[in-house]
Formats: sequence, C-alpha cells, structure tokens
Amino acid sequence: MSKPAITANTTALRDETMLRRVRQLGSAHDGLGEWRLQRLTAIALIPLGLYFAASVLWLVKSDHLTAAGWLASPVGALLVMLFVLAGLAHALVGIRSVLLDYVHTRSRLLAAGLVVRAAVVVLAGASILAILKLFLVH
Amino acid sequence: MTRPLNRPLSPFMFPFWYRFQITSALSILHRLTGIGLAVGSILLAFWLIAVAEGGESFASMHVFLVSPIGMLLLFLWSVAFFYHLCNGIRHLAWDAGYGFELRTAYRSGYTVLALTTLLTALTWLFVFFA
Repeated sequence: MSKPAITANTTALRDETMLRRVRQLGSAHDGLGEWRLQRLTAIALIPLGLYFAASVLWLVKSDHLTAAGWLASPVGALLVMLFVLAGLAHALVGIRSVLLDYVHTRSRLLAAGLVVRAAVVVLAGASILAILKLFLVH
Repeated sequence: MTRPLNRPLSPFMFPFWYRFQITSALSILHRLTGIGLAVGSILLAFWLIAVAEGGESFASMHVFLVSPIGMLLLFLWSVAFFYHLCNGIRHLAWDAGYGFELRTAYRSGYTVLALTTLLTALTWLFVFFA
C-alpha cells in the first residue's frame, strides 16, 4: 500500500495489481484472466452456437447416418468441437462466478470448484472423443 | 482452512430487498439460463456419444428425446439458448460501454425478450411444420 499516487500513474492501473490494493479487500486472483476468457468465448459462441443450432434443426427429421455424416465431415467435426470447448470454458467461468457469489466458505468453494472443473474436463474429453471417433473412422 | 471469507458478501437481494425491475430480473434470468445450458452440455455429450456409438445407443437416445420429458427439456433448452445468446450480446455491448442509459437498458431488455420469443417460436414451428 505504499505510494498509490505513483502506481496510479503507471500501467498497473489497467491490470489486476491495482485491484489488490483497493481497500485491502484482496483480489480473486484470476479475475481478470477469467473475465477475458468469458468475453472471448462469448464472442466465439455467437457464430458457433448459431451454426450448431441451425445444424441440429436441419438434422431434426433425418436419421442416424446423416447425423454421423455431419460429425464426420471436417467442417462439422471442427466446428462442433470448438462449440463444445468454447461452451464448456464459458460455462466453467460462469458457474465458478455463481459459486463465488453464493458459497461463502473457502473450503466448500474450493471443493465445489474442483467438482465443476472435473465435470467440465470429463464432458470435454467425452465429447471430443465421440467426435474424433466419427471423424477418424469415416 | 475452513475460515469464512471476511469480505462483503452478495446476498440474494431480488425478491426480498429489491422491488421487481426488468433489469435485475433479466440479470438473474441470464444466470439461470447459463446454469441450465451448462447442465445441457451433459446431454450434448451423451448425444455425441450416442451418434458415435450408433445402433442401440442412438435409438434409445432418440426415444428419450422425443418422450414428453425429452421434448420439455429440449423446449426449455431452446428458450435458455436463445435468451442467453440475445442477452449475452446485450452484456457484450455493456462491456464495450454502450447502452447504459436507463431507457436504453429497459428497451434492450424488452428487445431481448421479444427476440427470444420470436426465435423460440420460429424454431419449434420449423420442427413441427417444416
């Protein structure tokens, strides 16, 4: 907390370092990085989500072969993978920020965060494996 | 390790301390739909696995999806998807510094609700009549 007048004039003002000094409340440590990831994935999810929704709508009346063919095609496989990864990263940051607001015990917050991370990793792995299987076999 | 975070907390203000406002209601709805969509990613993973497996798995996934519970879930997810998409764009505009005026915030809020209704309706009209 020494000489805030000097730090205020540096680029530190733009970074999370300044927040840590504000009224000594401490910081959430990864807040800025998570904030950026949230926005980056949000922007990516606009086209990816619309593509996914439109594709699923076209698949509604079709059979298994069409769905498998879509996920086996390079464009379909890549864009659905990106949709899943961006979506899960976005969900991870979002759920963690909800937990941060409503779980007020540090140990419970840590445990809940670990569970959510584990779930996201498993879901991402399972989804990617499923798409890769279709993509590589066909 | 188990020490409470000694910081100002964010209580659940909405029904008890705040009167109803569309802005705060939409904000809470954004979180709720976000959580709903995150839960939906479990079904998405199962669906992708069912497509990869084919045969029996895909058939039983199809049976589940066209069952009343499956259809209800799909409907709720379509609402959540379109709402979170439209309101997310509203949030990105705020992040960029636009639309903070009260009138604009209210108007964009009602626009999001209208667009959500329209897109959901179009989606299900397509599903049932196209």
